[in-house]
Amino acid sequence: MFNRELKKGSAEFLILCLIEGRPRHGYEIGKLIEARSKGLIQFRIGSFYPILCRLEARDLITGRWVEKAGERRRRFYRLTPNGRKYLAAQRGIWNEFVSTVNHVVRPDLA
Amino acid sequence: MPDWAQYVRQNLALSRLTVQREAEVIEDLAQQLDDAYAEALHRGLTPSQAEAAAKKHIADWPALAKQVERSRLGRESAISTLQNRTEDRDIARHGEFSLFVGFMQDIRIGLRMLRKNPGFTAVVVLTLALGIAANTTVLSWISATLLNPIPGVAHTSDLVAITRGDRSDHPTPPFSYLDLRDLSERTQSFSGLLGYHDDYMSLTGVAKPERIYGALTTANYFDVLGVHPILGRAFLPEEGTPPAGAAVIVIGYAVWQNHFAGDPQIVGKTIQINRHPYTVVGVAPRDFTGCKTGLRTDLWIPLSMDRDVWGADRPARRGTFWLNVLGQLRPGVTKSQAQAELNLLMQGIAERFPEDHRDSPNEISLDPLWRSPFGINGYLHKIFPMLLGLAAVLLLLACANVASLLLVRSVGRRREIAIRLGMGASRQQIIRQFLIESLLLGLLGGTAAIVITKWTSHSLIAFFPPSTLPLTNDAHVDQRVLFVTIAVSILAAILFGILPALRSSNLPVQSVLKEEATSVSLTLHKSRLLSGLVVAQISLSLVLLVCAGLFTRSLQKAQQSDPGFEASHLLLASYELSPAGYTRATGVAFNRQVLDKLSALPGVESVTVADFSPLSFSIHSDYLQLEGYVPQPHESMEISRAIVGPNYFRTLRTSVISGREFTAADTRDSQLVAVVNQAFVGRYWPGESAIGKQVTDWGDRFTVVGVARNAKYRLLTYPAEPVIYFPIYQESSPTQDNTIHLRTTGDPRAMASSVEQAIHQLNPELPLFNVNPLSVTMQLGTLFGRIAATFAGSFGLLAMLLAAVGIYGVVAYSTRQRTRELGIRVALGAERRGIYRLVLGQGLRLAVAGLVVGTALAVAFTRLLKTQLFGVSQTDAITFASVGVLLAIVALLACHIPARRATRVDPMVALRHE
Repeated sequence: MFNRELKKGSAEFLILCLIEGRPRHGYEIGKLIEARSKGLIQFRIGSFYPILCRLEARDLITGRWVEKAGERRRRFYRLTPNGRKYLAAQRGIWNEFVSTVNHVVRPDLA
Repeated sequence: MPDWAQYVRQNLALSRLTVQREAEVIEDLAQQLDDAYAEALHRGLTPSQAEAAAKKHIADWPALAKQVERSRLGRESAISTLQNRTEDRDIARHGEFSLFVGFMQDIRIGLRMLRKNPGFTAVVVLTLALGIAANTTVLSWISATLLNPIPGVAHTSDLVAITRGDRSDHPTPPFSYLDLRDLSERTQSFSGLLGYHDDYMSLTGVAKPERIYGALTTANYFDVLGVHPILGRAFLPEEGTPPAGAAVIVIGYAVWQNHFAGDPQIVGKTIQINRHPYTVVGVAPRDFTGCKTGLRTDLWIPLSMDRDVWGADRPARRGTFWLNVLGQLRPGVTKSQAQAELNLLMQGIAERFPEDHRDSPNEISLDPLWRSPFGINGYLHKIFPMLLGLAAVLLLLACANVASLLLVRSVGRRREIAIRLGMGASRQQIIRQFLIESLLLGLLGGTAAIVITKWTSHSLIAFFPPSTLPLTNDAHVDQRVLFVTIAVSILAAILFGILPALRSSNLPVQSVLKEEATSVSLTLHKSRLLSGLVVAQISLSLVLLVCAGLFTRSLQKAQQSDPGFEASHLLLASYELSPAGYTRATGVAFNRQVLDKLSALPGVESVTVADFSPLSFSIHSDYLQLEGYVPQPHESMEISRAIVGPNYFRTLRTSVISGREFTAADTRDSQLVAVVNQAFVGRYWPGESAIGKQVTDWGDRFTVVGVARNAKYRLLTYPAEPVIYFPIYQESSPTQDNTIHLRTTGDPRAMASSVEQAIHQLNPELPLFNVNPLSVTMQLGTLFGRIAATFAGSFGLLAMLLAAVGIYGVVAYSTRQRTRELGIRVALGAERRGIYRLVLGQGLRLAVAGLVVGTALAVAFTRLLKTQLFGVSQTDAITFASVGVLLAIVALLACHIPARRATRVDPMVALRHE
């Protein structure tokens, strides 16, 4: 549905949003994006995982192994304090962008 | 169930991660594939279908490995050759919370850019350094004089100089001791009033007597100033309250060091001043050199010792005005309140003692020390702000120059900026980057300016000719100067950096990236801005050159003006008689001997003696009563008076228009006589004959026997003022300063040693000082004109150079940009002459616009100089016209070089160039 560029540009933002409330493991994040976008945005593990690595390297998210009874351990990701600030800033930019785009394409909305 | 960990391990070729990290990555990926597999099964797929679906999640294993490794190693893209991209992304990714990190990175990038273009950096830093140094030099002088009027006293804002009568450029001490005492006792506005009288004294009782500038002071002098001696103490009230007094002295740090080798036991010892013993009670701090700005005082004695020091009894005489007074305002009292109160008190005193105050104005005025009429600030406070204004114009010009350089350079950086914008850098980041580069340039310029100022701040002293005045100049790069330099550098950086930054960061990224590097040219916006900057540079340099021209012509006019005497071939030599122990009678005899002996020397045309020399701020004044003249209420009858020997007018070649000049026969035993000048007659006896009129001075009645031509004795730029001359042999006390004026047939310098020998034959121990040609010492009379002309002149030349470089740079640059167009024109048959005119015309249009704007600015600006000009109007047509022509020629030359180059464009080369 959406082209690669669009997805790539927004992936970081989406990930940060989804783990803002609580830590989630990698596959769960991908599935959640897919579900909430009603299947319009899908990520393969191969393209999704490097983004997680990058966010972690930049100290915006951090991963931790969590073991649950009867399950194999999973790596859960949550926001770092830096990630929280970054997300707040990105959200502001995003809202502005959206309203600007709306303003351009549909002046009646703005 | 597939072994996903094994599957990942087989496919993912990681080589640059730690073992532990590699294991984590494999486990994490395996877990996710496992989740995908489980979900597929859950959707109802068969195990083999589910396995295939899971495996489809990772198609490009090498790419994944590379991406994982890169982010793990903390290394981002190395695709771009552009070094700065990493920083941009770091800044972008860290967002606003780590502004500091971004800031440091901007500085790093900025320094790299500056290092990459050493030529550009050097030109910009030099331009800024000169512009800033002009300001900081003037500021260092202001800081040392106007802002630090009493060295060694930190807080002078509540101190005021108190004067009587209208403001004068050459005021004499305004108060008698008794008036000051009465004011001090009654005032509620001041916490203290101090009085002092400063003059040369002689340190005697040593191998070689030495002239030292000292002051007689009220006992509270040091207390009011808040100066605490570093050894001993200041004066006690009983030591300095007439008629009581004690022979005590506070010596300056320099005297202590130079004459007493810093003797730590100096307090309590006795030293001799003017042949009278004084007990040292204190040593002043090193920085403190008295409270008259620009003049250095080295010892202080209670004023009750006037009789010992000067053989006078001034503290007891209410009508003798001899003290300069400073007052310290009580907290919360304004100057106008204090002034009103002192006026009231002074009127009361004048009413009670009408005889003593009849001839002098009694209104009080208060001045803050930065424009105190006493000391050098009285003159400097008019000149320095003006010089600072000129320096500010120069800095503005330098900023315009640098801005145009930055703008031209930014064209070459279009691709780089477009790439960074394309990579996600925001416009703010680009602007910030540009501004930080400007800031670095500004600070480098500021640092260079400090180095220059360290040297130029001392240049003020170079304007002072040899003089009998104890002039000091302590200008240096102090904290205030340092602080302002940094502030000015930052301000300048913003000024010259902001326009190029705004313009350069506003790029159509796509089209710029598609452009070929060679076809990059100025946008219309930018070239308009650039033209505007060139016009600004030319107009500002016109303003500076006009000011420089006006000051120079004014100085020339002053130097060429007729001072009323002939300065060439005149040698001066000074000595003092009363400190050397002469009485009136022996002093007169000594002067006669000296004049006789010197006039007999070969090569001497004529010789005389006077108590002053022209144009060296050494003429005195007295309060006179004049026959037939009724002063206006509050009119000051304080008139310049000169005490001169026989042949004074002949020696100075100042003609006596009517009557006669003094002879050796005018003595205390003959009729007391005086000569006045034309201005005197014009002011007090207009239309009358002055000969035979009576003048009263210090109770003696003098008869006017001659009228002399006007001569200027203070500043060449002042109008001639009334002067009265008295014969030296009729003086009631030995004259303090005796200056021999010797007219020679040859070079006056050559006579110096024979004059010294002749005088020392009469008294081997008499110190001679200031043995100099009059033409040298009278330079003091044009001191302020020379300071103004020199600095305005150098600012003007610098401005012209900057403007020339500016116009050349812009024309040359745009011509290079048009190489292809010019090539086509030539190929189509355009004549070389036409090409030359095309390019030249472009530059000249800018020059003409600059000249027009500059003339308008200059007319407005030079109005401020009106009071500082002599013999030339502030809209002097000659100055304006010659500056205009000069700048036009400079602009023409600056355009000529690129225009010539343009005519040599080879169409083939130009077209292939594309």
